[in-house]
Amino acid sequence: MSGGIDAGMVTGGWNFVIAAYAVTFSVLFIYGVSIVTRLREERSRTTEEANRQ
Amino acid sequence: MKTAFPAILLAIGAYFGFVVAVGQFHGMPGLALGLPSGLIATLAAGCGVAGAIWFLFANDHVDSWRPPQILIGLALLCLGFGSYYGLFVAPPEQFMGEVQRIMYVHVPTAWNALLAMTLAFACAVIFLFNGDFKWDSRMEGAIETGVVLAFLLCCQGAIWAKPTWGVWWDWDPRLTTTAVLLFAFLGILALRKFVEDPARRAIWSAVATIIAYVDVPIVYFSVRWWNSLHQQQSNPGTVSKQFWLPLRLNAFGILFLMVAFIMLRARIASLRLKQEMAPPMAEIAELGEAV
Repeated sequence: MSGGIDAGMVTGGWNFVIAAYAVTFSVLFIYGVSIVTRLREERSRTTEEANRQ
Repeated sequence: MKTAFPAILLAIGAYFGFVVAVGQFHGMPGLALGLPSGLIATLAAGCGVAGAIWFLFANDHVDSWRPPQILIGLALLCLGFGSYYGLFVAPPEQFMGEVQRIMYVHVPTAWNALLAMTLAFACAVIFLFNGDFKWDSRMEGAIETGVVLAFLLCCQGAIWAKPTWGVWWDWDPRLTTTAVLLFAFLGILALRKFVEDPARRAIWSAVATIIAYVDVPIVYFSVRWWNSLHQQQSNPGTVSKQFWLPLRLNAFGILFLMVAFIMLRARIASLRLKQEMAPPMAEIAELGEAV
């Protein structure tokens, strides 16, 4: 599974491929969730402010 | 929701990006309409990016979840099929073997990170000309999304570098200039946190964005200007047709996600700005008493 170099060609390396895809989708998912959460908080704060005024 | 013109552009981009690539993959070259591969790639990228950005600017001020939901749905479709093709259908590359499959997420992330920075630069310039805070909010959204993509780019690059170069990181010109770009834009986000006055914050960060953007062409051309460890950019002529589809599907997938993120993040910035610019409660009470 781990990568090696054999006669000028990289052999194996699936673990690196899986790691790269896992990091990509994790970062995009976490950032997406954080944006939606922050937007919901900001919307409720704006509504509260508007009601108070 | 304004979707007609962006949808037409996206459909043209999707035709040249996906349908033609599927045709090449399954032996139907007639779908390319006899156009050269470089022009096909330019049409796919140009129409896709123009359609997505048009959709962003037409819908980012609309207080509805529908536009980002559409974008995220399209992104999941593209990324799902793109990753399936990239991981299980496309053959391993001649020299890099299976590790080359990382390129199907690394290269689209790089394109979209630079595109987000370019969008931030354009918003900064427009803000300095017209002073409309809508552009300041869009700039904040584009900078933060660009920083996330640039960070992801460095992580993916490190994971790819270990099996191919033997090291996680090297102070090669491409990597160094990308790290500088990441920290420069991160610095602009920090600057925005420290400045309380909205007008000063917007002007200072717009100027800082224009200065930081100087690094974007340096990142792009670094592999041509210096004899670098990082390989030079590929083009449709140097990439095997079997690799086109996963690369383009993931590029469109990350593009749609990036636009959805910028749209949502710009709304957060816009709501915060509205609160900051609202008159304080005491002032309202005084006005009420005076009346």
